[in-house]
Amino acid sequence: MAAPDADSRHEVAGDRTPLLRIRGLGVRFQDFEAIRPLDLDVLNGEFLTVLGPSGSGKTTLLRTIAGFQQPTAGRIEFDGRDIADLPINRRPFNTVFQDYALFPHMTVRENVAFGLRVRGIARATRDARVEDALGIVELEDLGNRYPTQLSGGQQQRTALARAMICEPRLILLDEPLAALDATLRRQMQKFLKVVQRQSGITFVFVTHDQSEAITVSDRICVMRSGRIEQIGTPRDLYYRPRSRFVAAFFGASNILEPCRIESTGEAVTMVSTPFGTMSVDGPLPQVREGLALAVRPEALVPASGDACNRIGCEVVSVSFVGSETITELRHPQTRHVLTMKTRSNPSARHPAVGSHLEVGFDAAACALVTGAQE
Amino acid sequence: MMRNRFIDLPLAAVAVLVYVSLYLPILLVFLLSFFSMRRGKVNWDTFSLSWYAKLFENDALGGALWNSLLVGSLAVAAAATFATSAAILVRSRPDRHSARLLEYVIFLPFLLPPIITGLSLLIYFREAGVGRGIFTITVGHTLFVSAIIYRIVLTRLNALSRNLVEAAQDLGATRIQTFRFIILPNLRMPLLTGGLLAFALSFDETMITLFLSGTDATLPVRLYAMMRVGFTPTINALITLLLGFSILLTVAVALVWRRNADSARKSYREGRT
Repeated sequence: MAAPDADSRHEVAGDRTPLLRIRGLGVRFQDFEAIRPLDLDVLNGEFLTVLGPSGSGKTTLLRTIAGFQQPTAGRIEFDGRDIADLPINRRPFNTVFQDYALFPHMTVRENVAFGLRVRGIARATRDARVEDALGIVELEDLGNRYPTQLSGGQQQRTALARAMICEPRLILLDEPLAALDATLRRQMQKFLKVVQRQSGITFVFVTHDQSEAITVSDRICVMRSGRIEQIGTPRDLYYRPRSRFVAAFFGASNILEPCRIESTGEAVTMVSTPFGTMSVDGPLPQVREGLALAVRPEALVPASGDACNRIGCEVVSVSFVGSETITELRHPQTRHVLTMKTRSNPSARHPAVGSHLEVGFDAAACALVTGAQE
Repeated sequence: MMRNRFIDLPLAAVAVLVYVSLYLPILLVFLLSFFSMRRGKVNWDTFSLSWYAKLFENDALGGALWNSLLVGSLAVAAAATFATSAAILVRSRPDRHSARLLEYVIFLPFLLPPIITGLSLLIYFREAGVGRGIFTITVGHTLFVSAIIYRIVLTRLNALSRNLVEAAQDLGATRIQTFRFIILPNLRMPLLTGGLLAFALSFDETMITLFLSGTDATLPVRLYAMMRVGFTPTINALITLLLGFSILLTVAVALVWRRNADSARKSYREGRT
């Protein structure tokens, strides 16, 4: 059921091999299944985000990889080696915690040096490497401060430097930006991405914020109720969700349902919807029950001559919200309401409320989805 | 608030009365250690340190004081070790029944009437063939004061983020390194406060000690014994010395606390800017 998605893996794999290979991993607390047996490959050098609402099992998955949580089923391989029996302190990767977990009685420098200190690295080497790490996270001047003397972003960067000091090939990040305000969070997203690119360290990043996931990730793994719902690039998940849940998680969608497959061609599939027959290109879902067609509001445009999917609608309302203009449309036969989002244009005339408007969307800008939304 | 002299005046009078009745006896003891007293009046011409000199000649009292200090230090050291281990154990598995049981076992001697603790220990030591002395008193006091240190240490451990231990292990620290570098440094203040409190409790514990002391009496037991046969003004000198010692200790602790609070406040302010 939760087999890794062959398509999305193919897209990014190339010559990259999985650094972390998870097979049939399950975690059960008494009668609650936090993680239902799942497979996941984390590729060498990628920025993989595990995204899901609270209670979806994403943090449990991360804690299981780190070794804080014992799996009840399955295996975890790091670089081809089973690490199930490896104690936490001997796992070859490090964690950045949600509350940073900086040692309050140590300075920034001592915090960062900790990993080297417990490994018995000589002081001279240690100092040099700590300075390097502080340089990467731009904290050279604050090395002698205590964690309570730092701002949230500085604490976050200290935690990152501390996790990087032993040069792990993999770093696990558990919602590291959750405690920061919006502006700082955006800065840190960029910063994390840059550090990840330059260091080449594989990042597994847990978040519940879909826009954050889209911004930073090479690939996103969407989790829901302990299962992997879909894995793919941010673009994949946004434009080609395979379930109503994923479609809704990445923002509003027009859901055209019920929907039935009429014919499958080489590239294009014809589906019948209450709005007429539409063409979709892209992969077909395995499940054929309860199909719907999801179209992003910004994929809908006033139809020009060559749009292959067209719907005739009545304009219900037009609202100008700055950079965008949102038009609510009603399909006269079914009374379905559609939302269209277009870029505002100072010289464009808005369609009059009540007027007829032909809208269309591209076969590549929609996706067939299944499953329940919640 | 409206100030009303009809309320303020009686309140002030009550306050003065309370303070006088609290401190006058102490003041009296202090004065009597230097001066002699006739018919309820202090004779100011009789200043002398002779009671202090007598105190130091009196081997029984000096020995008892030494015993008290020795038992207190040993009991605090033993209780701190035991209570810290227990607190870490309970903290690492808070949902286990065994942890609950351990917590209960630690608190029981503190909650039981001392007479029961003392008597049971006495019977136990007699049956086990252990002679009464410093060792038996220390065991009794350790049992009694462990609960205090345990509570203070556990409170601090609970305030520490559980992630700290995980972070240390994640960075490669063994259990022993985690304890040494992460847990212990954060327990300095609670161990100091808990230790002082436990020492004070041990110092004036009488009931359990009464059952467990053989010839090596501690100070309260010795004083109690002396009261029965008669009163000597050396006791005034002794109490004055103890009073001075406690005041010094209290001030020292207060200073350490204030320095800690100051640096915390300072770092908070600097963190803001």
